[in-house]
Amino acid sequence: MDILSNLNLGFQVALGVQNVAYCFLGVLLGTAVGVLPGIGPVTTVAMLLPISFTLPPESALILLAGIYYGAQYGGSTTAILVNIPGEASSVVTTIDGHKMAVMGRAGPALGIAAIGSFFAGCVSTLLVSFAAPPLAALALQFGPAEYFSLMVCGLVAAIVLAHGSVTKAVAMVLIGLTLGLAGTDINSGIRRFTFDMRGLADGVEFVALSMGIYGLAEVAYNLQKKEQAADRVQKIGSVWPSLADLKFSTPSILRGTALGSILGVLPGGGALLAAFAAYTLEKKVAKRPRHFGQGDIRGVAAPEAANNAGAQTSFIPMLTLGIPANPTMAMMIGALMIHGISPGPTVMTERPAMFWGIVASMWIGNLMLVVLNLPLVGLWVRLLRIPYQYLFPAIVVFCCIGTYTVNRNLFDVYVMAFFAVFGYLCLKLECEPAPLILGFVLGPMMEENLRRTLLMSRGEFSIFLTEKISLIFLVVAAIMLVILAAPVVRRKREEAMRE
Amino acid sequence: MFLVFAGVAVATARGYSLGSVGRMGPGYFPLALGILLAGLGAITVVKSLLVEGPLLEPLNLWPLLAIVASVVLFGLSIERLGLVIAILIVTAVLAISFRSISWLGFIGLAGSLIAFSVIVFAYALQLPLKVWPAL
Repeated sequence: MDILSNLNLGFQVALGVQNVAYCFLGVLLGTAVGVLPGIGPVTTVAMLLPISFTLPPESALILLAGIYYGAQYGGSTTAILVNIPGEASSVVTTIDGHKMAVMGRAGPALGIAAIGSFFAGCVSTLLVSFAAPPLAALALQFGPAEYFSLMVCGLVAAIVLAHGSVTKAVAMVLIGLTLGLAGTDINSGIRRFTFDMRGLADGVEFVALSMGIYGLAEVAYNLQKKEQAADRVQKIGSVWPSLADLKFSTPSILRGTALGSILGVLPGGGALLAAFAAYTLEKKVAKRPRHFGQGDIRGVAAPEAANNAGAQTSFIPMLTLGIPANPTMAMMIGALMIHGISPGPTVMTERPAMFWGIVASMWIGNLMLVVLNLPLVGLWVRLLRIPYQYLFPAIVVFCCIGTYTVNRNLFDVYVMAFFAVFGYLCLKLECEPAPLILGFVLGPMMEENLRRTLLMSRGEFSIFLTEKISLIFLVVAAIMLVILAAPVVRRKREEAMRE
Repeated sequence: MFLVFAGVAVATARGYSLGSVGRMGPGYFPLALGILLAGLGAITVVKSLLVEGPLLEPLNLWPLLAIVASVVLFGLSIERLGLVIAILIVTAVLAISFRSISWLGFIGLAGSLIAFSVIVFAYALQLPLKVWPAL
């Protein structure tokens, strides 16, 4: 009953003319950046953060959420037709999707990707509405000790799931935490890490940091890579898969949805990991795995369902615990903070209209996406003809305007330039920026909770082990670290990353 | 080879942040982080010395420099010269440094970016931006 009345409230919010418009704008933009290789949802959300400042918080989040899951749809179009992942999470779709297109089955590939995504979107949206309230209720009982341990656990998970070297991932988290601490200390008023610069007194601006790393650094990185020659498939044909195709891929969609939903909740998870895992799972359970890699429709259905499911469920920890599962969610937290809302379990009780409005908008957005993607696929293909030479100056200009307008502070623009250099070096050194962003968002919260805990326990560290929930989180974190250190698992992990 | 350089650079940077804040109370958490970081930096350096790391491709810094330059120029020009001229400068710097866009393309790109930004950001969203140079 509760859920129904809540969903009802949500749909009332989400179906308001303004919010439908923002939802549509979000998924439209999301599809566009999904289709275009070289700009991802993180960059786009970062660029739109300052704009969302002028909107009411519901509309802002509906818009930003639409971009994130819209990009999951759009990415598959490029992956199938051009053999380039439009989005990182559709890398896997290129393997079988493009093969299908070469064999003249581009239409069914696109169709099954959209249908799988839509199904996964519906299921995972339901999951969000059922799982979020009890989780939030549980989280309300958390004290500072529990929160600190939960964050440790989350950061460890982000490290485990990051690509490449573990040492580097840990270092990135620590750098992120340290950056998050810059600025005036809340408790003592002492300025830390400001190097006597007035602009840093309020800390490093989140928008400047994320645009520098995700916007500008990526542009610079893309520009120095050599252009890939792409073999395009022009003929698409009917986008409706045959009944046999549907029947054949239904179990894959179901498995992909389930796997994606679980992985989306994990910190460091989200859409990318879900797609990889779903593809691997399909290969394992399939009767004739040899067909994979040669245009198997199941190899399109499962990862596409998984990445969309993962994109939606990653909202659960963000909305209920205030802890981001991936960089895009970190941006959403940034957006909430701009509006003066501190994310956490209280969001649901204090702002039910916003919470349920977002959930309902996800479903509406998914419906819009199917309509946007299937009949209009030709339009998106045309979008691919825009050369990068015209796109990147636009990205740079929007990053500049965005960063400047948050605080009307020139200093932030220079901070962004600094992080562009920093982010570029990270990309060059194969350090993933995602753990850094998560660390940056969690840094101040972690310190605050650590201090409060130690204040209550009078400096006894053992409190983290005597509080039950806190102990569970720490044990989980420790287990993950041990597993990671085990040589067998490490080799497996490297194998999986290479695929 | 390159990894060694990077490792040393990172390690010194970390050592710096560690030393700059050492006070009790507010410095406690950063200090702990700094120590952990320094340790990791050392591990990275040692590792790269022991293992023959894969050579990284030579850095092509030109795009990065051009982008940073254009951003800094934007920062210098936005308050005094306004949005229109700032965008013009950014696109011009990028277009010249990559020589990938024809004259016609440049005019089209800069024109549409200016039109879009002025209409959407300055008027529709009412963001606090100066559009024209202040006289």
